Amino acid sequence: MSLRYHWNVNLLGRIAPRLLRWQTEWRMRAGSGWKSDVLAPPLRISARNKELIARHYLKGRYANLRHKVAWVTSGAPVELLKALDFYVLYPENHGALCGTARVVEEIASEAENAGYSRDICSYARTDIGSLLSNKTPVGKLPRPDLLLACTNICQTVLYWYRVLAHHFDVPLILIDTPFIYTVTAGHAEVADHAVAFVQRQLEEAVPVAERVAGRRLDERKLKEIGQLSKAASQLWMEILERNKHRPAPISVFDQFIQMAPVVEMRGDGATVDFYAAMLQEVDRRIAQGVGVVQDERQRLLWDNLPVWYRLRYLAEFLGQHSVAIVASTYTNAWGELAELIDPERPFASMARTYIYPILNRGAGDKLATMEWMIGEYHLDGVILHSDRSCKPYSIGQMDQRDRLSKRGVPALLLEADHSDPRSFSEEQVANRLATFVEML
Amino acid sequence: MKYPLIPRRSEVIHSHKQRGAIVAAVLPVHYPRALLRAFDVIPVEVWGPPAVDASYKTTHLQPYVCSIVQNALSFLQAGGLDPVDLIVVPHACDTLQGLGSILIDFVAPRQPVLPIYIPRGERESDVVFLADEFRALYRRLEEITGRAPSETELAASIRREEEADALLGQLHRQRRQLPLTNRGFYHLIRSREYLPAETFTELAQAMTEQVTETTQNGVPILLSGIVPEPMSVLDALAEIGGMLVADDMACCGRRLYPVGASAPTGRRPQGESDDPFRRMAERILHAPPDSTRGSPVQERLDHLLRLARESGARGVVFYNVKFCEPELFYIPGLRRGLQDAGIPSVVIEVDIGDPLSHQTSTRLEAFLEMLT
Repeated sequence: MSLRYHWNVNLLGRIAPRLLRWQTEWRMRAGSGWKSDVLAPPLRISARNKELIARHYLKGRYANLRHKVAWVTSGAPVELLKALDFYVLYPENHGALCGTARVVEEIASEAENAGYSRDICSYARTDIGSLLSNKTPVGKLPRPDLLLACTNICQTVLYWYRVLAHHFDVPLILIDTPFIYTVTAGHAEVADHAVAFVQRQLEEAVPVAERVAGRRLDERKLKEIGQLSKAASQLWMEILERNKHRPAPISVFDQFIQMAPVVEMRGDGATVDFYAAMLQEVDRRIAQGVGVVQDERQRLLWDNLPVWYRLRYLAEFLGQHSVAIVASTYTNAWGELAELIDPERPFASMARTYIYPILNRGAGDKLATMEWMIGEYHLDGVILHSDRSCKPYSIGQMDQRDRLSKRGVPALLLEADHSDPRSFSEEQVANRLATFVEML
Repeated sequence: MKYPLIPRRSEVIHSHKQRGAIVAAVLPVHYPRALLRAFDVIPVEVWGPPAVDASYKTTHLQPYVCSIVQNALSFLQAGGLDPVDLIVVPHACDTLQGLGSILIDFVAPRQPVLPIYIPRGERESDVVFLADEFRALYRRLEEITGRAPSETELAASIRREEEADALLGQLHRQRRQLPLTNRGFYHLIRSREYLPAETFTELAQAMTEQVTETTQNGVPILLSGIVPEPMSVLDALAEIGGMLVADDMACCGRRLYPVGASAPTGRRPQGESDDPFRRMAERILHAPPDSTRGSPVQERLDHLLRLARESGARGVVFYNVKFCEPELFYIPGLRRGLQDAGIPSVVIEVDIGDPLSHQTSTRLEAFLEMLT
C-alpha cells in the first residue's frame, strides 16, 4: 500500500504535475492559450498554480492509502487537521473546479435525479452528485474519515455535511460560529460569549480529530502551521493591495483562479512560496507598466462568488470596454483576517479569526467593507453577483446596491449562479452589462 | 358538544396592548417564550403570514427567497406589525439571518429588532452558549422594558410554558380521539403561536375533556415540513379521506419542548444548580430533531419512523415551502429511509402566498389512493 502511494504520489506525482507546468509555460511562451487583444497575457504563475492543484488532487487520489482524510468547508479551521497530518479536501473547491471545467450540469443532475432539488446550492449538488456517481474531472476523490463543517460561511454547509455524514457514516465535527449582527457605526461587533463558544468547540474538536487520526496533536506543529497560514494570507493580501496601483496589474478573474492555494492549501510551505513568487510577478508588471486591461478607464468592485463557468467571457466583455474589475469582497475575505491569526495563541486566535469572515457579518458591515474598498482601490462602480446558490452572500445586496447608488456609486445586480450554468442567461447578462458600462 | 372558542391573533394583541403589556412579533422557529413572558412581553409569532400585499418585498429580497421571509417583510412594510413593540428574529436559516440583518441595517423599523442565535448542536458547549445568549437577551429586555424579573419569576414563567407544552404534547398524542377536523386541530395547536401559556393551557384542558373513546376514521397521514400554509391543504386532505395523525412541522411538532434538564424535577445532574437560563436553553436544544437546528439525518429519520409507528400513519406528506434549503437537503435521505421501512411519501412544494393548486390536490389524491 505504502509503496503504491510512494510510487504514485512521491515519484509520478511529482513528475506529472511538473510536466503539466512546463507544458503550460511552454504554451505561454509560444503565445498560445488564452489570447486577447484587450487583456494582458495570463500570469506566468498560473502554470505553477496548475502544478500545485494537480499535485494536490493527485495526492488525493491515493490519500486513503497513507493518510486519514478530512473533508472540510472552505472556512474551516484547517490548521488543526493539518497538524494531525490529515489530507484535507474542500468539496466547495472541487465544485468550483467542476464549474470551470463546465461539468456541473452533468454531475449535479445525478444528485437531482436522486431527489436533491435544484433550489439547493450548486456546490452541494455537484458534490453529492459526484459521490453518488463517482464522476469528477480530477479522477477520483478520496473517501473521508472525518468531516468538519464550520458555519461561518453559511448554514447550508451544515445540512450538506449532515448528508455526507449519513452517506459515509463517519464523524462530523461541527464548529458553529454565531452570526455577528450587532452593528456599531457600521461595523460588526462580536459578543465575548460567542467567541468563547467557538473556542470551546475548537478545543472539543481536538480529541475527536485525534481519535480519527490515531495520533496526538503536537502544539508545536500547530503553531508552525498557523505561522504558514498567516504568512500565506498576508502575502495574498499584499498581492490584492497591489491593485491599488493604476493600471491594475491583475484582475479579479486572475484572483479567482490564483486564490485556490490560500483556500485549499493554507498552512503549507509551498503555498507561501507560491504567493511570494506571485507577488514578485505582480510587482514586475507594475514596474513595466502592464495593466490587466489595455487602456484601463473604469475600475470596478465584484461582490460575491465568481461565475466560474463564464470567467473568460466576463473578463473579455468588460476588457473590450476598457473596464477592469480590480477588487472583490470575496477574494479579500481570504486575506483581510490575516492579522487576527496569532500562531502563539492558536485556539484563542482561531476562534476570533474563524468567527469573523465577511459572510458571518451583517449586511451593513458588508456594505461598509465595500465602501472602504471603493475608496482604497479608487473604484468607479460595483457589480453585485446575485448568486442563486449563495443566499447569505446575496440577501442584502438589493439594499447595498440602493445605498451605493444613492451615494453616487453606480451598482449593478447581476443574476447568476456560481457554478450552475442553467441559471445564467448570457443574453440578459450581456444586455445588463452593456447598459451598466455605458452608464459608467 | 361544546368546543372552546379560540381567540384570534388580533384580539390577543389588542387585549394585551389595552392593559399596557408589550407585544413582540417573533419570527420562526425557536425562541425562549418563558423569558419574554417573564418581562410581560407577549410573543406573537409571524409565520409568513400567507395573505399579504407582496409588492413590498421586491425592493429588498431576490425572488429565490422563500415566501415565509418575503411575506414577513412585506407584512412589516405594509404596516401589519405596527401594533407590536418589538421584533424578535431567531436564527433559523441563512434566509432568516438575512432578514434579521436587513431589518437591523437597512429597513430599520420603529421597533427594536432583537436577533437570537440558536446553536446547531446539542453538546454541553451549545447549552452553555445558548444560556449565555438568553442572558444577553435578558439584558436587552431589561433595557427596553425597565423590568428585571427575578430567578423565581423566571422559574415560574418557565413552569407555565412547560405546563402548556405538556398539554400540547397530549393533544398531539390524542389527535385521533379529538372530535376535530384536520383544520380544527391545527387551528387549536397553532394558537400556541400567539396565546399566552396560561390561556392556551385552559383551552387545551377544555379540549382534552372532549376526548372520545372512538377513533376518527380516515387514511392516517404524517405531515412534515415548516408550516401548513395555505391551511386549505388540511381541508383538501380531509376531503379525499386523509386524516392527519402525526406532525413533524417546524411550527408544531418540532416544538414540543421537553422539560429542561436543569429543572428541579428533570434530569438534572447531581449538584448542578437550577439555572433558569440553562433550563430554557436545554428545552430548545432537546426538542425533537429539526432541520433548522441542523439535526443529523438519522435522528430525523428515527423520529419520523417513531411517529409513524406510534400514530399508525401509513404515509408521509413532506409539505415544503419553496426555496426552504434546510428542508430540501433532508428530504431525499428521509424518503429513502421511509421507503426502506415500507412507508411511502410524497413531496408537495408550495408558496405560502399562493392558493392550493389543482395539481397539488390531484397529487395528494393519487398518494392517498396508493395508501388505501
